Amino acid sequence: MKTIKIFQIPGTEEWRREARIALHNNLHPNDILWLVEDSTQSDLFDTLSINKQEHSQNQSCNHRQEKRSHASIAIPKSAIELFNMALCHKDPQRFSLCYRVLWRIVFEDRYLLQRKTDNDIITLTALVKAVRRDAYKMSAYLRFRKIDSPDNETERFVAWYEPEHYSLELKLDFFKTRFKNMQWSILTPYRAAHWDMTSMVLQDTPSRAQYPKEDEVEKYWLTYYANIFNPARPKKKAMLSSMPKKYWKNMPETVLIEDLIRTAESKSRKMIDNAASD
Amino acid sequence: MTDKLATKLEILSDAAKYDASCASGTAGKRTAGKNDKKGIGSLTGGTGICHSFTPDGRCVSLLKILMTNYCIYDCHYCINRISSNVKRARFTVQEVVDLTINFYKRNYIEGLFLSSGIIHTPDYTMESMVRIAKSLRQDHHFKGYIHLKTIPNASPELQTEAGLYADRLSINVEMPTQKSLNTYAPEKELGEIHNAMGRLKNKITEHKYDKTYSGRRPPRFAPGGQSTQMIIGADASDDKTILTSSVDLYNHKKLRRVYYSAFSPIPDASQVLPLKPAPLVREHRLYQADWLLRFYDFKLDEILQGTKDNMLDMDHDPKLAWALRNRDIFPIDLNRAEKHLLLRVPGLGAQTVRKILSIRRHTNLSWEDLAKMRLPLNKLKPFITVSNYRPPLYLLDKNNLGDMLKKPEQIELF
Ligand code: SF4
Repeated sequence: MKTIKIFQIPGTEEWRREARIALHNNLHPNDILWLVEDSTQSDLFDTLSINKQEHSQNQSCNHRQEKRSHASIAIPKSAIELFNMALCHKDPQRFSLCYRVLWRIVFEDRYLLQRKTDNDIITLTALVKAVRRDAYKMSAYLRFRKIDSPDNETERFVAWYEPEHYSLELKLDFFKTRFKNMQWSILTPYRAAHWDMTSMVLQDTPSRAQYPKEDEVEKYWLTYYANIFNPARPKKKAMLSSMPKKYWKNMPETVLIEDLIRTAESKSRKMIDNAASD
Repeated sequence: MTDKLATKLEILSDAAKYDASCASGTAGKRTAGKNDKKGIGSLTGGTGICHSFTPDGRCVSLLKILMTNYCIYDCHYCINRISSNVKRARFTVQEVVDLTINFYKRNYIEGLFLSSGIIHTPDYTMESMVRIAKSLRQDHHFKGYIHLKTIPNASPELQTEAGLYADRLSINVEMPTQKSLNTYAPEKELGEIHNAMGRLKNKITEHKYDKTYSGRRPPRFAPGGQSTQMIIGADASDDKTILTSSVDLYNHKKLRRVYYSAFSPIPDASQVLPLKPAPLVREHRLYQADWLLRFYDFKLDEILQGTKDNMLDMDHDPKLAWALRNRDIFPIDLNRAEKHLLLRVPGLGAQTVRKILSIRRHTNLSWEDLAKMRLPLNKLKPFITVSNYRPPLYLLDKNNLGDMLKKPEQIELF
């Protein structure tokens, strides 16, 4: 039994490196114990700057193209893409699962991925789906607050967001493109990304204190949210399936929800009961 | 920002909420260019992101507001009609522009959906709306989504200009027939609305296909196409009338979407209107039928065949209802049947069908596989065969099969 420790979060690169060696050494999936060492506990990595490296984000969290050695084995690109997503999942089993699938693709069935009813593929797909959803929700539910700068010239925006998985890196390109000409920081419990309009800097375990307590525009957003809701048709279940409570902590408008639902029925009843005016 | 602004926002977002078409459509990809030091925003290529959901289950994607709720017209179903007793407000061009940019920068929205009551004249109103879109694009280099609800009888020039800045334009037909319009929106002319749609259609296709002599495209024009909305259940039109007019709009005006909005009681309602909301199920069924027409190769006749009073079956979705009426083509073998037949199986969506086609190249599907794919087995049971399963013969012959497949709790009506 060989023990392999993964130090980084989410650990995509390390896994890839280790998996390649293991594959080369013919190590069977059952003979490896993958262990997660939380790097945020040690100060092994603090600030890593990624502005210089070509930061290819295509669905990959954090991985960089490694040099091809003679040991490299051709793997379908779609598999690599799935691994890169699945490895952003919080499940500590992700490393052994991905290695097992990798092993089976190489030694058992090149078309394993298409066997959508295989148990490993089902689990892998579920991880990928969860991560993809989590990353999407981040691009949707993250809220910036503006920091007033002394010169009033440069606007700076900060968001605090708690993703369920390690989704930050998956969405950096999205935010960079959309808010290219804005200075912003996105803080998550495990890592922060700072964009100064030219380069991106990542920082591990940032403090929430950098996140402003308020924003002058937020109350207008709450006003809008409360008024766009049609009290004649409350559908709480539909809302919850798209926006489960676990996301609410990231979104200022959710403080209104309970109240809106409580008063909805009486509001719409009033409309029906009111005699028509003309 | 002042609190007068909050009051305006309250009134003018409240007035906009009765409009169903909240989704931001697809209009291709767009980002600020490399050397654009000012540009903000992007279009991601897919449908717009839902940045929040309201307790009515709807997606909040755009800042959906009215420029003003003053109106010189008197459409009965409309909360803004001149005879209604609501509080009125009006945004300035600058206020709408600032709100949009401020919301966008905080990642609240994908863009702006602007409509308006008619003040002074249709042209005057349309001109202000165009100025808002123009300022967003030119002063702020805004790359997000803009949907303008155009005023049908505004001048063609203004509508053309709107198309230069907006991603999507829409004109509401409101009611499927002129007769209904006469009763409920006396100032509106179906012919005029159709003409305006026709003009937009020509502009949109002109941009898509025509290249100039030098190979350049004419300026972009509403790349997200046009859409419209019909109010359901305020007038007496049946589902056949509604869907027939949708099919006509899809075919002849090349609309991207027809939205159906179940009539919902409005404050200070006019007396010609029903006092109770139209059932949401009806709206839902119309959307399902619309979907079958556009993506599942169903013909309108097939959907309407055997329905009572030309109304869709409320108990079953239109695909299941069709299957129940055409039991002789079932069961369908999921391992062998062609794609168009798979699409007819109740419980199999287009995406699942694609999945099945890919899986069965490698394996024979079994009942257990279906369970693993988390398909609605109960619904599928009478209609399919797989390697180790055939429905018992009596199942498809049962008179109460329809009742067995009823989903009592499909829609939450509170
Ligand atoms: S023209 Fe539009 S805003 Fe005015 S009353 Fe008719 S529907 Fe309402």
